[in-house]
Amino acid sequence: MHIPDGFLNNNLAAGLFAGALGMLGFCLSKVFRTVTASIGVLAGNNNNGNIGSFAFKFSDNAGKYFQKMAIAALWIFAFQMFNVPIQSATSAHLIGGLFAAVLAGPFGGFIIISSVLIVQSLFFADGGILALGANILNMAFIGSFLSYYIYKALSGKNYYLAILAACFFSVTTAALFCLIELGISGTVSFTKAFKDMMSLHSVAALLETVITLALLKVFKISAEGKNE
Amino acid sequence: MNKKIGAVIFPIFVTFFASLFASKNPDVLETLAINYGFDKQAKEIASIFAGYSFPFISSHFLSTFCAGATGLVLLYILYKGINGAIGRFIKYFLVLETDKK
Repeated sequence: MHIPDGFLNNNLAAGLFAGALGMLGFCLSKVFRTVTASIGVLAGNNNNGNIGSFAFKFSDNAGKYFQKMAIAALWIFAFQMFNVPIQSATSAHLIGGLFAAVLAGPFGGFIIISSVLIVQSLFFADGGILALGANILNMAFIGSFLSYYIYKALSGKNYYLAILAACFFSVTTAALFCLIELGISGTVSFTKAFKDMMSLHSVAALLETVITLALLKVFKISAEGKNE
Repeated sequence: MNKKIGAVIFPIFVTFFASLFASKNPDVLETLAINYGFDKQAKEIASIFAGYSFPFISSHFLSTFCAGATGLVLLYILYKGINGAIGRFIKYFLVLETDKK
């Protein structure tokens, strides 16, 4: 559901772009903090002089974390090219928000999906440059960041149920917000298009669940193999 | 085989199969745009690999595959860049902190 340029009102698109930039900065700082956290003392609070200056460096697993993020981004980019036909003359593909968030946490997931969206819009004309803010809100913020908390709340009870619920939440809510943005811009009537949008995207959500489960299984198996 | 290399080669295989078998039908939003008649509002933006195709290659399979592989390389460079930038950033702060004394 990459919104191209021209579907959205300029004011709305610019506002969402600013919001997406702010959120991206916040998530980068959070990731930066997790990467340096294991040392204990952060940049801001070095009140007792000599500890602070040398405590601020890369933790040991920082390189591994970035590697994981890069690999997740590559996998998601590859799978977003794989369109699967779902109904007559319509196709759907993976968004990968939950996959990214489960692997790298909500902040890492947001950055992964945003980076994929930025590369797609700048080089592949898949989603407009001005509409990038709306796309980041739909797919990275709702599809990855918020759905992670659904997954986290339910994963203690049942892993598969948690994945299913979070995938359905991520895809259908992203579609809903996409439709709301289009409705506000006056491109299409919200009430008219609601049924088509939701029914087609619930099929896409099923696809997303299956692929996410398979990818997480593959990652888990390879991670277990690494420890042996 | 090394897991790291496998994890990088796997998406290249996926793009290979995607360029062979992926459906060329419009996705859900495009279908909606066509059905409700607002698909003409979309503005084409000039991009190098617009629509996942390499500009100089006429074969559909090869051009999609090349575009996908280029995208993977671009993403990899982006993450190398972020990693390097954060490394530099930390070093810069270390220098600042030591200069204060």
